[in-house]
Amino acid sequence: MKNMKTLLTLIVMWWISGAVYAQHGDHHHHDHTAMQASEQIPEQSLYHLRGEWTSHRGEQFLLSEFSGSPLVIVMFYGNCTDVCPILIQDAWRLYSSVGENMREEVNVLAVTFDTENDTPESLMEYARYEQLNIDGWHFVTASPATVRQLATALGVEYRKRSDGMYDHSNLVTVVGPDGVVGARVEGLGRPMEVAARVLEEFITEKQLP
Amino acid sequence: MMLLNKLHRVTTGILVMALALLFGWVDSVSAQAERVWIPDGSYHSLFPETEGEPLQVHGFYLDETPVTNSQFLEFVQNHPEWQKERVPRLFAGNEYLRHWESGLEPGNETLSEENRPVTRVSWFAASSYCEASGGRLPTMAEWEYAAISLDLESVQEWETLGYELIGWYSSVDAGDLREVGSDDRISRFGVRDLHGLVMEWVEDFRPPIADDISFDCGTAGRLQSDETSFSYARVIRTLTRMSYTPQTSIGILGFRCAYDGDRAKAGDQLKDLSER
Repeated sequence: MKNMKTLLTLIVMWWISGAVYAQHGDHHHHDHTAMQASEQIPEQSLYHLRGEWTSHRGEQFLLSEFSGSPLVIVMFYGNCTDVCPILIQDAWRLYSSVGENMREEVNVLAVTFDTENDTPESLMEYARYEQLNIDGWHFVTASPATVRQLATALGVEYRKRSDGMYDHSNLVTVVGPDGVVGARVEGLGRPMEVAARVLEEFITEKQLP
Repeated sequence: MMLLNKLHRVTTGILVMALALLFGWVDSVSAQAERVWIPDGSYHSLFPETEGEPLQVHGFYLDETPVTNSQFLEFVQNHPEWQKERVPRLFAGNEYLRHWESGLEPGNETLSEENRPVTRVSWFAASSYCEASGGRLPTMAEWEYAAISLDLESVQEWETLGYELIGWYSSVDAGDLREVGSDDRISRFGVRDLHGLVMEWVEDFRPPIADDISFDCGTAGRLQSDETSFSYARVIRTLTRMSYTPQTSIGILGFRCAYDGDRAKAGDQLKDLSER
């Protein structure tokens, strides 16, 4: 009986993985390069993380699909109305402090802690409210384990309280094209100059022929 | 093209299933530990964040015993990226599974004790193991709630256990681990080996408050909820856990998994010791 169940799970998983792949194939032409490169990516690269993410636009992807471009990661949640808007604003300050022609090379990942309430639809609402439903910005959710693993890799601590809100650390992280963390800005409303310089270096690196 | 694609998917699906049966991947599910239902409840956290209010814990399933070497071997067989030769430094320090001879060989000494708890596994490895078995790591609140729910007869028994644990936390011998399940101090809900076998990973081993806490005696005293030795043992356990990094892979540190669930829906296929 147990074996039958497992078989069934396997079949279902197979179909799902097939469907996800098919969905992806059309949009993400760099998939294969990312996969092939995975053997040589640095030991400390975040692109070793395997979980699957869903964005506020409903797109599904792996973190490693961002490899090759610099990435800014900030963790927040929608029901957090006091500090989280500041945190998102901090990420925007960093993003907008690099030249406009450079910004298109950068992806920003705003990752929710609250996988229960922050559905792709409500994340879309949030993105629109913050006027950040723009190219390169992705408000994303995943399974609780996937979110926790990314947070742990970044050094972001969080804990759900009895009242449904979260205690969490405030962190904006700059990640290089190879997935290795280049700069961390801890706290709220902190200066972004150093992180911005790191981000610019990553972009220049990428733009070199 | 679409049709071919579909055909390919179906045939590969059959192939994968056949391989799964052939190599016994499917059986790995049946080798998992028994799960015990931990009912809704509350307990007093050590942290000032709850300000004297008991912390609520929702019902969940918890492995009766910690994950063993042989169970972890099955996991790395099915998930080769967790073999010690392959695991990137992001996920584990170089002590990861050091006592195993190679990625797929726990080694004679360990194998002869295949029911020993697996140790030298990082937080990432533990978290991924639990995810692969359809669960997750227990939260610190869940683990502590399950662990302190003991039915001891007298104040003296609590004191004795407290002193035992304080001694154990300060002189744990990684070379001499007993088999899982050998602890006869079973918690109220039927969980074993919570005290005195191995330290265990929890999902949020570094809660947000960790940054504000220093690991000294003053802090230990401040966190202590009462004057008992059992309370002091809890503080030591909590501070020790908070001093780990997610890559920490040491000989006294293992884990067990938790599972979301609704007891009414889960039916009787899961062992429930709490009704004994």
